[in-house]
Amino acid sequence: MNRARSATVVAALLLGGCGVQPSGVTDAAEAPTGIAPGVTLYFLDQNGTLRPQQRRSGRLGTVAEAVTLLLYGPGQSGLRTGISPSESPRAEAVTTPGTIELRLPLAAGEVTPPGADQIVCTALATHIQSGGPARTTVRLIFTIPEPGSDTPRTCPLISPRAPGR
Amino acid sequence: MASVLLIEDDPLVRRGMELALGRHGHDVRSAATGETGLREFAASVPDLVVLDLMLPGVDGFEVCRRIRRTGDVPVIMLTARGDDWDVVEGLEAGADDYVIKPVQPTVLDARIRAVLRRITSGGDEVRTHGDLRIDTSALTVSRAGEPVSLTPTELRLLLTLSRAPGRVFSRTQLLEEVWEHDYLGDSRLVDNCVQRLRTKIEKTPADPVYVQTVRGFGYRFGPL
Amino acid sequence: MRWWPRGLRVRLLAACALVAFAAAGAAAWAGAESAGDALLASHGQQLTRTVTDQVGAVTPSLSYPPDQATLDRLRAAVGGDTLVTYRGLRSAAGTGPGLVTPELRDAVRDGNRLVTQRVVAGGTPWLLIGTPVVITAVDGTRRPSGIEVYTARDLTGVDGRIDDLTRSAIGAAALSLPLAALLALLAARSVLRPVRELRDTAGRLAAGDLGARTAPVGADELADLTVTINEMAGSVQASMAAMRRMQADARRFAADASHELRTPLSTLTAVMEVLADTADDMEPDARESARLAIAETRRLVRLAEDLMEVSRFDAGTAALRVEEIDLAVAVRESLRARGWLDRVEVEAPGPLPVRADRRRLDVVVANLAGNALRHGGPPVRVRLGATPGEVWAEVTDGGPGLAASALPHVFERFWKAGSSRTGPGNGLGLAIALENVRLHGGRLTAGNADGGGARFLLHLPRDAQETR
Repeated sequence: MNRARSATVVAALLLGGCGVQPSGVTDAAEAPTGIAPGVTLYFLDQNGTLRPQQRRSGRLGTVAEAVTLLLYGPGQSGLRTGISPSESPRAEAVTTPGTIELRLPLAAGEVTPPGADQIVCTALATHIQSGGPARTTVRLIFTIPEPGSDTPRTCPLISPRAPGR
Repeated sequence: MASVLLIEDDPLVRRGMELALGRHGHDVRSAATGETGLREFAASVPDLVVLDLMLPGVDGFEVCRRIRRTGDVPVIMLTARGDDWDVVEGLEAGADDYVIKPVQPTVLDARIRAVLRRITSGGDEVRTHGDLRIDTSALTVSRAGEPVSLTPTELRLLLTLSRAPGRVFSRTQLLEEVWEHDYLGDSRLVDNCVQRLRTKIEKTPADPVYVQTVRGFGYRFGPL
Repeated sequence: MRWWPRGLRVRLLAACALVAFAAAGAAAWAGAESAGDALLASHGQQLTRTVTDQVGAVTPSLSYPPDQATLDRLRAAVGGDTLVTYRGLRSAAGTGPGLVTPELRDAVRDGNRLVTQRVVAGGTPWLLIGTPVVITAVDGTRRPSGIEVYTARDLTGVDGRIDDLTRSAIGAAALSLPLAALLALLAARSVLRPVRELRDTAGRLAAGDLGARTAPVGADELADLTVTINEMAGSVQASMAAMRRMQADARRFAADASHELRTPLSTLTAVMEVLADTADDMEPDARESARLAIAETRRLVRLAEDLMEVSRFDAGTAALRVEEIDLAVAVRESLRARGWLDRVEVEAPGPLPVRADRRRLDVVVANLAGNALRHGGPPVRVRLGATPGEVWAEVTDGGPGLAASALPHVFERFWKAGSSRTGPGNGLGLAIALENVRLHGGRLTAGNADGGGARFLLHLPRDAQETR
């Protein structure tokens, strides 16, 4: 009785199709990240070249925290900085897709061009480590800007085509 | 011995019947067509006409009707068995009887004699019923003083019925008494003859008083 | 196969409705299925994104390597039904931890990716989400941190919505059933109308209306069938017409021939008596010759009359002239007319009124009695009787009876008992008797009596109808 059998199959499909069925393991998304043993800051060596420095802070922290930490200076590491020291520095960061806007407690004149690179690289490194895309630009907002000081910048050490995003 | 006019178109049949009827003592004249037959009839009126229905020219029915118009000479038709229309039409044309071809001369002779038979046992009384007066010895009938002309068959039928007014005669009885037919006689002979008799003696033939129909049985005379 | 309806209309209707219903049901079901899948997928994406965001929001502030407090914080950030592990440490809450399957754990451990799995536990559908938390280097490279997060999300809400979708799909399919039935009805009508017309035509053909045709419509198989049936009817009609023409010709020939015989027979009949009267005076040879001529002429007359009678039956011109008669009287008169009253016993219970044709009934009685007297032996007996609607006559003889092989043929024309064709009858008598009985609407059957003699049984309706 082929007709009866096919009718049964159709009915079974109809009735069995409802509800959530168990499934196998499915790859769904990137794993979350943002965990790190410390933060990476960028300073200048004797030749004025940009160099990363690991700070064993025990956690990654935010972009603003990393930049603030950078503004405190290189300490006793033997490295230099292109940013004028300041009393209890405090940076603020606003992250929008593609751009990080950093509000610095400094005038544009207090930061050398390599110093600006230091800030940009530090912010981007933290941004990437906490899962953000490498293709992100950084705008620096100084207390006293100079012409072109707030143009979007990138880090010469971090390729936007780096692995990851 | 009767004078018979035989109207028959086939010469051999005609000659054979002339011979046979002659041997039965009849005086036979013959004619081959309706026209010559009617001429012969006019030239000398016979006692009886034996008429073949299938004639060239004026056919048998027409010949019969013309003979009937001239008087009361009886007519016997020659017909083919089962040609019922012939029989019906022939009787309506006024024939007294019919025989089926091929007919044995003895049978035809008996019919001839029956048709021509005179009522002798009628007695000599005069029966008067209303306007109708039947003289059984003179064999004359008159209605309201006017003489009525009847063929011998019609007269015999009237005499038979009026002999016992009120008595019902079945068709087979009448066939036997009036036509001398056996059980197989054709009852249409009776019906047709009654029809003709009524047109002659009844005031309104459609509503007869003398010859009345008894549905399912036959006919009776009166009661008035 | 009993349960499957047999009528073409019902079958067509059921099949069409079933197909339409199945199609609508399948479409609705497929729609519901894909909608359900899409729903499940988007819900799953939303859940994983939420978990990713929850984890990602808290990780930068988590110390690494983590201690128990750190794991607890992470677990709290993800929400209930969550397990967080790091090497030997573990922080668990709710149902989630118990549901984690080995294959999910393996997938989390082996790949740097977030994975999901749907499970059903205790009737409740769950989405399991498992992910490692990875450490991303400045250059973008990622490596596992050793922290794994497992969490379970209840899918009962989605399940309910999928059930709703399925139910509405079934509802839609059910709604389509009356529509499907209506369409099927229309389709069945349009298909069956020509079939019905064809059936009517075939019925008329079967009933003898050979002029019946159906106009073929369209160019489908049914039209082909119609054309074929029309052709068949046409050829049957043509051959029937040819056969009828031949039959009519044969009958007309017989009628004409017997008719033409009548004129010479009339002459012969007229002169035979003359011959008979004079035969006594002839020499013996001439006398015998004359008598033979007379006897044969009588036979010839009888044969010609019978042939004409048969022709009239064949032509349908035989007329019935019914009168009120008594069967007992009719039988006795027939026998008396032929001088057979002393050779045939008649048993009648009393008057047997019947409406019949006197002359035709006489022919029947004469033929039956004559047949018994000629072919059977004494005693020949006629028993009469009546039922409420009929009168009957039974004619039996004391002869050897009819042979079983003869029974089907006794009423055939020119059939004679035995091989001899020289008997007194001409072989038309019983055939004519049967035709006369049929004309009355009666029955005539032949058989053998218990005593062994032949037995003919005649039934006539009491009120035969006049014809013509």
